[in-house]
Amino acid sequence: MRGKPLTPEKVIEKLQEALGEAILSHGMKEYTVGIAKKRSYREIWMEIDRKAFRKAVEEIFRLDYPHLHFIMGEDSGGDMIKMIYGFALYHGLPWEQVSIVLKFNLPKSELVLPTITDLMPGAETNEREIREMLGIEFEGLKNKRHLFLPDDWPEGKYPWRRDEYGVEDMVKHTHKSVKEIRKGRGE
Amino acid sequence: MMAKTQYYVPVGPIHPALKEPIRVEAEVEGERIVRVDVKRGFAHRGIEYMGMKRNAIQTLYLSERICGICSISHPYAFVIGSEKALGIEAPPRAQYIRPIIAELERIHSHILWLGVVAHEMGFDSLLFWTWKGREKVLDLLELLTGNRINYSVFMIGGVRRDIKESQIKAIKDAIDFYRIFTEEMKNVFLSDPVYKARTRGVAQLSREMALKLNVCGPVARAAGLRMDVRQDNPYDAYADIEVRAIVPQDIVGEARGDAYDITLVRLYEIEQSLDIIEFCIENMPEGRIMAIPNYVVLLSKIKKTKGEAIGMHEAPRGEVVHYFKYDGTRDGPAVWKVVAPSYNNINSWAPLLLGAEVADIPIVVAYIDPCMCCNDRVAVVRDRDGRIMDYSLIHRKAVEKTMRLKRELGVRA
Repeated sequence: MRGKPLTPEKVIEKLQEALGEAILSHGMKEYTVGIAKKRSYREIWMEIDRKAFRKAVEEIFRLDYPHLHFIMGEDSGGDMIKMIYGFALYHGLPWEQVSIVLKFNLPKSELVLPTITDLMPGAETNEREIREMLGIEFEGLKNKRHLFLPDDWPEGKYPWRRDEYGVEDMVKHTHKSVKEIRKGRGE
Repeated sequence: MMAKTQYYVPVGPIHPALKEPIRVEAEVEGERIVRVDVKRGFAHRGIEYMGMKRNAIQTLYLSERICGICSISHPYAFVIGSEKALGIEAPPRAQYIRPIIAELERIHSHILWLGVVAHEMGFDSLLFWTWKGREKVLDLLELLTGNRINYSVFMIGGVRRDIKESQIKAIKDAIDFYRIFTEEMKNVFLSDPVYKARTRGVAQLSREMALKLNVCGPVARAAGLRMDVRQDNPYDAYADIEVRAIVPQDIVGEARGDAYDITLVRLYEIEQSLDIIEFCIENMPEGRIMAIPNYVVLLSKIKKTKGEAIGMHEAPRGEVVHYFKYDGTRDGPAVWKVVAPSYNNINSWAPLLLGAEVADIPIVVAYIDPCMCCNDRVAVVRDRDGRIMDYSLIHRKAVEKTMRLKRELGVRA
């Protein structure tokens, strides 16, 4: 059975009990909606130590079986990739849903993460996408075939990377202005 | 190597049930499916990559082109997410116009699905009848926005077109029409014994499985999960309306999560959409429709903004999530991640097809209303030994099974 939904403050407290020092920073974002009657909901945004990632996810699953919004990684060109996991707790309960966004840095020298597919088999899609788009290995992920990219996609090329592993050299016109394209042609 | 009794059945990438390409590879023993593999990526255009290179207004209309059928759902999640990141709020009137467009889209999308699933079973006259009824909502959308699809009517901080008095009359007429039409569709789909026999127990997803496979939208609701972004995390006028998720247990007492329940959920959601539109036109506030009408000002505000947010919208097929990060150096998103409902809902195909019959493939594939929002263009179709059954053969099998059930149930054609 599902437990009683906790408030975002309580959820943060629970996570603090479980993770302690590994929570580097946390905050709540409050959004007000409605015209006739103003009401608000809150989201939890949390920065954690990458070593505590698996423990954090396990704690989230202990509170309530979540819905996984998305997994995303941001490469801003440096030697770190920022991983962003979005979960929703207490979905299906009006105004009670608590979205939790977990963020942590992953050094490019060690792009390995534990899988969460053992807790949620549906996350396979997300992990396979991140694997091919950013080159992050998931330990324990069974199906490692390409998801969206074709089977003959060149190795060591990751579309969302902004370093030498990126695809800038494979892309021609998608994001250039007409002016730039004409200039390139010498017109 | 495959044993002699096993055959290899590829469905897709070109498949009449799909508006877009995907491939299901099944290995069958007799009629039973023993192994399934789903291949996506045949229409992947790298839209997220492009969006991270363009400005926010360009990306907004690019997001509209992610999908033709739900061409307001992605812009909706985009504007909600952007407004959260930028800290602006759309004027009240715009917050009431947006749900009208979104719900009209839900109506046409659901009717489209009902037609497709009827076709998959071999009820082609039902396909033409439902799609004829769908034309009216497309005409209405054209009247309101100028386009049948890709309405280009949303903007960060508002909408680009107001709804006039004369248009409100057209909306009211359409609501009256669809009240009757939905009632008729309910009669045709839900009380037909052959439709029931063909869908009851087919593509059955338990509540447990629905949670674990991370599915959303009508697929999750048919399995009994009360998941609906409009209810869980309301936005715009939905916060005033108190939308409640439509689940089979509220209508017929129990949720079985099969193709019949999904039909039920979709049909009742059309009525819910009509109620929402009615509420919006009756309570629409007066006033402006854009928070920042000048695009140059809007873009320069985006350029100065550092912030991130998630935008969510309940599309006809389920939850659309956009994650944004504006980093204060570009006038567009520095990071943009789109998760469309079919991304999660396709997870259900492989488990559902295992042990099913070949004649059920079209229904399992069609029942989630797949929409390949995130796919690849570079298609490499492998060659493989084994007898290949093409789609026309599978479709014929699906029609044959329907006919057989018709005979067994004693229904006259």
